[in-house]
Amino acid sequence: MSDIFRDSVLRLSHVPGVSGALIVDVSAGVPVIEELKPHTDGTAIAALAAALFRRTVQASDTAGFGGLGSLQLSADHGQMFIAGANDLLVVALLEDDAQIGRVRMEANRAARALRGLDEANA
Amino acid sequence: MRGTDLPRLVAVLRDPIETFVRDSRVRVSLLITGSGQILAQHGFTSSYEVMNVASLAAAAHAASRALAQLLHVGRWLHLHHAGTNQEIFLATLETPVEKLIFVTIFDTESSLGLVQYFFGQLSDRVGAMPELSYAERSADQKTFEADLEAGLDRVLTQQPRNEV
Repeated sequence: MSDIFRDSVLRLSHVPGVSGALIVDVSAGVPVIEELKPHTDGTAIAALAAALFRRTVQASDTAGFGGLGSLQLSADHGQMFIAGANDLLVVALLEDDAQIGRVRMEANRAARALRGLDEANA
Repeated sequence: MRGTDLPRLVAVLRDPIETFVRDSRVRVSLLITGSGQILAQHGFTSSYEVMNVASLAAAAHAASRALAQLLHVGRWLHLHHAGTNQEIFLATLETPVEKLIFVTIFDTESSLGLVQYFFGQLSDRVGAMPELSYAERSADQKTFEADLEAGLDRVLTQQPRNEV
């Protein structure tokens, strides 16, 4: 099982412009596995990304938009892409020049693999 | 802490605790000394609840510390209990005068990760407070009980707006 987690974050973190990748337990807000640059606080990123995703799910639901598949946060000096996978999140930290299309593809692919794992275990 | 230090300590601790509660979206928070003296609280509605949680938190802290010594694992960073609807997080907060015990209760509005993250900020902020550098511990058994009760009285009488 951990191979799927490790493979997912490794593939994602090797996409040009991706500065880090994590899989996060969304209800606990803690990292399951992470591949980050030194001095990057994965615990803080996991907690805040999970809180952001959960709030956005609530907002989307309240607004009648239905379920939330993914979320992209753009800031002055970087971006964050989060894909939901049941009780897990795939989180990618991106530099400004990241290949966003490829990041979305890899993150969604990882999310599908994790959802498949979840369903296989059910 | 001595009863004479309490008015100042309770006043300066209020803002960091409220900031923690607001940012982490927890329901209830309590900051006590190792002997169960209450320094700050948010979310409790009665002194009975505060006293119970304070004494249980102090006991849980003492038991977990003894367990850590028994197992030779140093000290626990935090104790987390995940219940069906609510979760409890208990951790020590280092100050120059003594270790304080922080306990918070949260539900699905928050998460363990958020509580850990904002507790780190709270810990840094409270640990650096100059007011805690020159506070003194209760001197002896005679003053201990009076200091203990003074904490409860001051925290509950000065924070009625925190009730939920």
